[in-house]
Amino acid sequence: MMKICIACGMPMSQAADFPDGDESKDYCVYCARPDGMMQSYPEKLEGTVAFLMRTQGFDEKAAREVAVRTLAQLPAWKAVRSE
Amino acid sequence: MKKTMRQMQKEQTKERLLETACQLFSKQGILNTRVADVAQAAGVSHGTIFLHFETQERLVTEVVERYCGGMAARLHELTCSCGDVREFLSAHLEGIMEFEPFYTRLVIENRFLPLGARDAWITVQSAISYHFSQMVEREISLVRTDVPLSVLFNTWMGLIHYYLENGDLFAPGESVIHRYKNVLCGNYLKMITTERMKHDAKSI
Repeated sequence: MMKICIACGMPMSQAADFPDGDESKDYCVYCARPDGMMQSYPEKLEGTVAFLMRTQGFDEKAAREVAVRTLAQLPAWKAVRSE
Repeated sequence: MKKTMRQMQKEQTKERLLETACQLFSKQGILNTRVADVAQAAGVSHGTIFLHFETQERLVTEVVERYCGGMAARLHELTCSCGDVREFLSAHLEGIMEFEPFYTRLVIENRFLPLGARDAWITVQSAISYHFSQMVEREISLVRTDVPLSVLFNTWMGLIHYYLENGDLFAPGESVIHRYKNVLCGNYLKMITTERMKHDAKSI
């Protein structure tokens, strides 16, 4: 079964989607820091806002709202959701 | 832990309700479908639906989340290994065609849906915008660089969605994507690529 990144929701179908090609990881290559550890919530949030603005041209406030809501649905950020 | 027979039956019923609702949404519209319509089509009582979904809003959200998740995964699968722009655009349209009736309803109604459902729809577009941006970066020498990435992407999405939302005018009673696939792909390609590639694409 195709894995879904716990931190951003991206489907991971090939080795290149995983940090260092390590398919045992539950997060994708884009959610990993250079040392292979998973990014923190603030890092991921800023990255997601920037991604929505760059690729889809969303307004910054709207992009942030979408990013906060969609990240809150993902397993990695459950703790953030309950805060 | 092994599931009891009762739990399995409950899950099967929920599955059937999600599938039935999706079919009805595709056929008659998401907001135009009443809970009673879903109950009748699935052969269950009105009360049974509320055992699985507390409100109509919850039903809509769960159906949209479920099928948008499937769409995002399928579109990812189709577009992640594309070699060039033409292949990418074509694979994207092939993917949409696989679930065109429900996708079209989402194009038309997404602004009016519960927030969770709308977010699921945005996630599908984000999956595509991600692969689109990767493709543009790979093809940097062929794709116009004087237009921002977001405008390139939104022009492509706007084009597809305009044809879909007006499907009754462009392709009454048939698949819009099937009929216009080459027209949309070929002409968008001419608009976004530089002269060298346009020359190669003259025969479209």
